[in-house]
Amino acid sequence: MTQILFPETLDQAVALLARHDEARPIAGGTTLVAMRNAGLVDSSHLVSLDRIPGLRGIERLADGRIRVGAMTRHADTAASDLFTGSLAVVRKAAGMIANKVVRNMGTMGGSVANADPAADYLPALACADAVLSVLGPDGAREIPILTYVQDWYETALEPGEILTAITFPAPEDAPSAYRKIARVSGDYATASCAMALTPDGQGLRVAIGACGPGPIRDVQAEAVLHGHLQDPQAVAEFAAALVAKADPVDDVRGSADYRLALIPRLIASVLSDLISAKEAA
Amino acid sequence: MSLDAFAGTTVGQPVAKVDSLEKVRGQAQYIADLYRPGMLHGAILASPYPHARILGYDLTEALAAPGVVAIVTGHDVGDGRMGAFIKDEHAIARGKVMYVGEPVAAVAARTEAEARAACRLIQVQYEELPAVLSPEEGLAEGAPILHEHLADYIKVFDAGSTGNLCSRTRLEEGNVDSAWDQCDVIVEGDYTTQAQAHVSMEPCGALAEVDANGRVTLWSANQSVFRVQANVCESLSLPMSQLRSLTPRVGAGFGNKMEPHIQPICVALAMKAQRPVKLILSREEDFEMVRARHPFKVWMKTGAKADGTLVARECRVLLDCGAFADDSPGVMGYALLMCGGPYRIPHLRASGQLVYTNKLRFGAFRGFGNPQVLFAGEQQIDQIAEKLGLDAFEIRRRNMLREGDRWFVGPQIASNGLARCIDAVEQAAKTPRADGSPRNFGLAVTAHISGLLGTGAIVRMLEDGTISLNTGATDIGQGSDTVLAQICAEELKVPLDRVAVASPDTDGSPYNWGTTASRVTYTTGRAVKAAARVVVDKAMEHAAEMLDCPIEELELREGGRIGRKGANTDLTFAQISGRAHWAVGGPIVGSNTLVFDEPTHDPKRAIALGLPFPRIGVFSFAAMGVDVDVDQVSGQVTVHEAWSAADVGRAINPKLVEVQLHGGFVQGLGYALVEEMVWDGARLANPSLMDYKVPTMRDVPDAIHTFIIEDPEPSGPFGAKGAGEIGLNPVVGAVANAVAKATGFRHHHLPLTGERVLNGMTGRG
Amino acid sequence: MAKKALFTLSLNGDQTDVAAAPDATLLETLRDGLGVLSPKRGCNQGVCGACTVLIDGVPVRSCLTLTARCEGHEISTMEGMNTDPVMEVLQRHMVASGGVQCGFCTSGMLMSARNLLAETPRPDREAVKSALSGNLCRCTGYRTIVDAICTAAEELAQ
Repeated sequence: MTQILFPETLDQAVALLARHDEARPIAGGTTLVAMRNAGLVDSSHLVSLDRIPGLRGIERLADGRIRVGAMTRHADTAASDLFTGSLAVVRKAAGMIANKVVRNMGTMGGSVANADPAADYLPALACADAVLSVLGPDGAREIPILTYVQDWYETALEPGEILTAITFPAPEDAPSAYRKIARVSGDYATASCAMALTPDGQGLRVAIGACGPGPIRDVQAEAVLHGHLQDPQAVAEFAAALVAKADPVDDVRGSADYRLALIPRLIASVLSDLISAKEAA
Repeated sequence: MSLDAFAGTTVGQPVAKVDSLEKVRGQAQYIADLYRPGMLHGAILASPYPHARILGYDLTEALAAPGVVAIVTGHDVGDGRMGAFIKDEHAIARGKVMYVGEPVAAVAARTEAEARAACRLIQVQYEELPAVLSPEEGLAEGAPILHEHLADYIKVFDAGSTGNLCSRTRLEEGNVDSAWDQCDVIVEGDYTTQAQAHVSMEPCGALAEVDANGRVTLWSANQSVFRVQANVCESLSLPMSQLRSLTPRVGAGFGNKMEPHIQPICVALAMKAQRPVKLILSREEDFEMVRARHPFKVWMKTGAKADGTLVARECRVLLDCGAFADDSPGVMGYALLMCGGPYRIPHLRASGQLVYTNKLRFGAFRGFGNPQVLFAGEQQIDQIAEKLGLDAFEIRRRNMLREGDRWFVGPQIASNGLARCIDAVEQAAKTPRADGSPRNFGLAVTAHISGLLGTGAIVRMLEDGTISLNTGATDIGQGSDTVLAQICAEELKVPLDRVAVASPDTDGSPYNWGTTASRVTYTTGRAVKAAARVVVDKAMEHAAEMLDCPIEELELREGGRIGRKGANTDLTFAQISGRAHWAVGGPIVGSNTLVFDEPTHDPKRAIALGLPFPRIGVFSFAAMGVDVDVDQVSGQVTVHEAWSAADVGRAINPKLVEVQLHGGFVQGLGYALVEEMVWDGARLANPSLMDYKVPTMRDVPDAIHTFIIEDPEPSGPFGAKGAGEIGLNPVVGAVANAVAKATGFRHHHLPLTGERVLNGMTGRG
Repeated sequence: MAKKALFTLSLNGDQTDVAAAPDATLLETLRDGLGVLSPKRGCNQGVCGACTVLIDGVPVRSCLTLTARCEGHEISTMEGMNTDPVMEVLQRHMVASGGVQCGFCTSGMLMSARNLLAETPRPDREAVKSALSGNLCRCTGYRTIVDAICTAAEELAQ
């Protein structure tokens, strides 16, 4: 039988995770409790981050960066007015997770820590160059989002480490968007695309979700594409570079082939929307 | 708040459902909400193999686990076998397991968690056998045989069973082979349809207890307390008098709760534990162990003359039966009966094979085989129209069956509002979209039966003149309690709130085959009306004596009164019933039972081999139009607007008919676009609502326009016929025709996922 | 039997002590421990919405909520809504519209709707669908449920 522990500080939480071999942290519970209900959790202890002050909320730091506490609910992220311009992609992704009731429960930290490749945050965070703050027995450290996912459901989080916050660079004045293809409203992504234009309108940042173990982003290809957004051939070559990096699987949401076909179509479509938005602005 | 706020008490009024108050207040009790003193909780161990011999069980560890009281295995259930058409199924796996997920053992313990934990401690020794995972594999030479004793099983029709062939059916009218020469245009194709899960929001469950005499009382989520009684008693070799079957409120059934799920196991547990046992399936178990809509392989060929007149059709189907026959022979027979659609086709041949496989049983699901053949048939009608330059409405009008025509192999059609259904959809859909853009419009038409088998009603006038109605028909949420009460109230001219509807109970209710086949309003409604008429007649006899006048001079008046024509004075039902109870004649009870007995097959007209339904029912008709959008990025289809017109004879309650059409449309839309049970080898890959998706509120159009067409059925109560399935059948056809219009590509495989449609659009289909 | 934990919950305005497994979900505790049966177990995975209850007025999945997390918060279920005037209007419109069929989803649907009307007194149809898309219904096709919530909101706004 699993015991639930409620530390009141992060240090206590880290200590509890260290003390109990089979303990795992639990945030909003939308994934972990569902697994427990299916008989898939045999942890001796769940360390709830629920009562630790300071883990909830979204703030603008003095240097303009946006910091999201790991226990911030999707509903709060989706409603926040701090995610403007190039960071709107984060807010939009949050608003497409599951449904309104689940968004009242799930948290950004829990979702990122779980690292489901078909979940909505990872591509949005990858597009937005997020940095993850973690705390563990060896102290605090930061993980850039692009090095975070290492394999299917494997991340750079070490055992005993807790994801405490996600920090985004100061928003730029450039449109951004999140589009996901899903079988029905609220499903996990079959494929998704998070994209922001650069402030000069000449370049983009884009991350593809659900087409490999982690979000797919190619910073070098983005640099090559800079200045050629209106050139369909260049965009197609850029999309081909992402397709080459994709490693999708066949599953009940769609085949690997379908996902590979969606990548360039999503990129062209979202890019076209963002260029229109930029021109309208 | 009371239901009086929703005035109108009689036939034709959209009165609120009699069970709606308890439901909005959260007070309705479903099977999981029932508790009994000393009750234990059950859990099931499922087979990990698709086909294996059971060599033995080691229950030692499980029996010693905390809270465990009893464990049931195949050793406990005897050799009894159940089945609607072929008695091939034990209460729980016995000797062999036949599919992944099949119940192998069950535990009764103090809590559900303890029962589930103990299941994991049961050791079963298996000898794996080669498995059959498709009908083709099952028919192949040298295939492993699933039912070695198939020849010995009791069968209720000429099934032609052999090897893994569960049954075969062939129907023929006219001379198809020579008719192709008369055709100017012929279309032909292979089609596949997928397995669909019912996903009743309430998972299946049961609660059983045994009294001091060994008699069992069983509550369960069901569509027929009588089928539950029959199945449990057959599989556990109990006399039917030893089992009382009851129903709480049922959280919907679309066919999945008609035949048995885990009721026999729950009874076996309660008998062994000698304590009440409640057994509620998880959603995952509900996916894996109950039943699903059959995947079909359909080959169809249709020919017409240059003016669009249909000449001939041939249809062959191959059905995956799953491990047990269940309702499968009926589904196949019915699909073949319906494969011509509601058209005059003089030369028509339909044949099918139903093959056992090592998958969960496939069975009844709203539509009952009709949507699968319609997917092929209604596309072929459109293709013929396209080739001949005919309009989709016009070709259907030109060929549709008319009143007085006979359906394929013989049944007479008495009422037929199909023309009016087609007109209603055409009128409404011919306007362009609000933004002026063109429609991607698809049309399909269908017919469905209502009727089948036995039913009954008992109407009792209580001492105070109010009424008790008892039919044995389980209301699964669709509103039959309300509709039957309306019929009863109308016949007796009493307000609806004077009619109490008894909950089905095999001890006290007259037999009703089931809430299935769109039949309760029509079939049970007939019995209710006739039973209520008996009550009126008896009350009239009393009144004639009380008023000392001939019966012919009396009239039944609103409010439940009887008076002499032309005179103001009258008697209340209370006065009449009081006399009957206390003085003369005895309490007034009216009853009626009937069985639908119009033969389906006319041997002078057609050949029918292996037809499991000798009598089916009367015909309802419908037309459906949809206007779709196709997303150019993903290929995903959404419905912009839909029109559903159904001839239901007479809408006893138009609101409930409308909701049947809405609900059928959305369940059909899920079937058309996204729902698919997927197997990874022998194992179901998506047995959860995370992985198997049904439409949400955001996936369905707001604009579902319904049109209730009333072409009264002479034999129906107040002209009514069924409405339960007719709104689902045509969705796959209408959507496929609309997608063909939008993309130029004809799809032969369901569901029309974004992936399939995109492949069609990009030439990879 | 494994050792149970004792929880003190604030349920429908009353303080209630209940023993349950330390990791019991709120749904398990409500149904098995307290006999509060309006939240239903439709999937136990947070997808179907039949178990939706309000915590501090906000709709959540009781099947995904650990009971231990609920201490100190106000839990509301349909059992506590008998005197809620907004819920009474919602219920009445659900009955009238035909939005109640089998009823298994109804309590969860209405709890989500109750919160929607608290946040957005005059929701349009899209807002209703957005708020309730996590409550599955297999009977009605949803139209009559959306109708009911919109007409209830109109009545309440007058």
